[in-house]
Amino acid sequence: MLIVILVGVALLGLLIWRAGARYALQRLLQLIVVFVIVTFAILVVMRIGARNPTELAFRMLGGQPSPDVAANAVKDYHLDRNLVVQYLYWLRDFFVHQDLGYSLKDNQTVAKLLGPRVMTTVLLGLYAIIFGLLIAIPTAVLAAYKRDRPIDRIINLFSFVGFGVPEVVLGVLLKLLFVVHWKIFPAVGTKMYPWNDFGGHVRNYFLPALTLAIPLASVYVRFLRSDMIATLQADFVTLATAKGASPTRVLWRHALRNSLFSVVTAVGTQLGALIGGTVVVEYLFDLEGLGSQLVNSVLSRDLFTVQSLVAVIVALVVVINLAVDLTYSVIDPRVRQARALA
Amino acid sequence: MNDELPEDATQPHGARRRRPSVWLVLAVAWLAGLALLTLFAPIIPSIRDPDAKVRIAGKVQAAYKLGPGNTAWWGTDRLGFDVFARCIAYAKNSLTMGFVSMTIGLIVGGTLGIMAGYFRGWVDRVISIIIDCLLAVPALILALMLIQRLDDLKETWSFLGPLTRKWQIILTLSLLAVAPLARIVRAQTMALRDREFVLAARSIGTSNARIIRRELLPNLVPTMVTVAFTGLGILVSAEAALAFLQLGIKESWGYMIEANRKQIDKGWWATLFPCLMLFLTVMSANLIGDRLARRFDTKEASV
Repeated sequence: MLIVILVGVALLGLLIWRAGARYALQRLLQLIVVFVIVTFAILVVMRIGARNPTELAFRMLGGQPSPDVAANAVKDYHLDRNLVVQYLYWLRDFFVHQDLGYSLKDNQTVAKLLGPRVMTTVLLGLYAIIFGLLIAIPTAVLAAYKRDRPIDRIINLFSFVGFGVPEVVLGVLLKLLFVVHWKIFPAVGTKMYPWNDFGGHVRNYFLPALTLAIPLASVYVRFLRSDMIATLQADFVTLATAKGASPTRVLWRHALRNSLFSVVTAVGTQLGALIGGTVVVEYLFDLEGLGSQLVNSVLSRDLFTVQSLVAVIVALVVVINLAVDLTYSVIDPRVRQARALA
Repeated sequence: MNDELPEDATQPHGARRRRPSVWLVLAVAWLAGLALLTLFAPIIPSIRDPDAKVRIAGKVQAAYKLGPGNTAWWGTDRLGFDVFARCIAYAKNSLTMGFVSMTIGLIVGGTLGIMAGYFRGWVDRVISIIIDCLLAVPALILALMLIQRLDDLKETWSFLGPLTRKWQIILTLSLLAVAPLARIVRAQTMALRDREFVLAARSIGTSNARIIRRELLPNLVPTMVTVAFTGLGILVSAEAALAFLQLGIKESWGYMIEANRKQIDKGWWATLFPCLMLFLTVMSANLIGDRLARRFDTKEASV
């Protein structure tokens, strides 16, 4: 876990350095403001409406704590102070002590509860994006190249359907076909890491990732296709063709490279939908990730867990959005320049 | 090369034929037909009461006993209810909840967007921060959290009493619709506010309220309607997802799917038909939104 965080911080640092410090800091500041407001709002929503601190402690811990456990929670998490002070303590606990609260139902600290689940969700999201790109890039290139031909129409139809189909429907359908009918994949997804059992890992993650990847791929195709069509009409593409470059080379080297920004944008804008989708998909395929944990905690009213979970998810979204933004300006210096001037 | 391809999506709308496509007609027909059917279902004799179990010769049938057929058109579910009757009856919830929350979202999001785009300055800054914050929390996660909390708060605050589960979901869903709508309306307003007709209105001393009402709003309606339809699809599927996660109402397609999916090998019909209803409804709303977007040439119509 620590290694992952360190690698992430290093990558982010590299991006900030490459993207230009001034722009990066500006974005960073903006995102910190958003993070603070959102987490404060979540804290207020979670903790408002209790008549006294002990009742609040009961709520936050979930279940039926004994009086001295509740009293300890009141003391440890300063539940008797006003919400702003509680928030400041929460911020300190979150960042300095990595203390996210305690879950009575699961009988362990929320941090311990969430640690392994973060991994599942991050892997699932990553696979979904990779799958999505693997499906989308060749399809979009083909659609742009064969623009308005039947194959393009068919791709458009599929991407329209894929974009709109609810994850619930897609997931149930895939599960019916591959798990119940053809029995290719196991019915219950157990927690399995690639370094423990690679085959099992693939079998457990393939369908959930595919369920998430299909809507993603549809959005990527839409973005990339229209961008490619515009790029294919640019002068440098005509020049490349005139100089005798083969269509394949023109498409994949000249046009695609200059259209990839739209894909990066699409990856960023679809992030929220992707994380929302993991909730449904993890629940459907019985994967133990952040999403299924959130559903369970919400249903059992385990408010410490819910609050910390949502905060972790928001932090993830905010950091990845920053990374996407910076990547954007690293791969296209024109963006950096335009933004520096603006 | 374009003159032989009148249907091309990437062309400006002026070059396209005016006749609506077959798909659009089908989509409108599906939504309208479904609305009528669900409204009149109680008085149509061939549709069963959704809360009465299917009986043959007075006997309740076992779980998944009847497949799709004459007695029950789409079979019976885990508890012996008529799947077709339930699918039709629950359309009312999906459609009204989607529609009402979209309307609230349109009013609130539209107002915020126009204010931000028209007044600029600190109003814009504050509203933009609110939008950014709302967008930072993935929609479904925000919904999960809020619905459960509204439930709890009802116990503490008696004035929340009339807030049934259905209204909790409507409120939450409309909150989800606010941010994307406000962002698009803001962008459109900013593009419009410096156009000549607005400047002309302002130069003859028209008040801000009147400029917004008479000059800006009519120009914003196409965008808002377009986004409303695409958004309707998203809200209907969000409602189903909530019900699927057991946090919505029980009278919903999503809950039908959840309740029957574990025994899908015994009765595929009880899971797949609600899926089909959900799919077709969401697709129809999306299709109408998509066609409107092309017609009005709206950018960024995907919420």
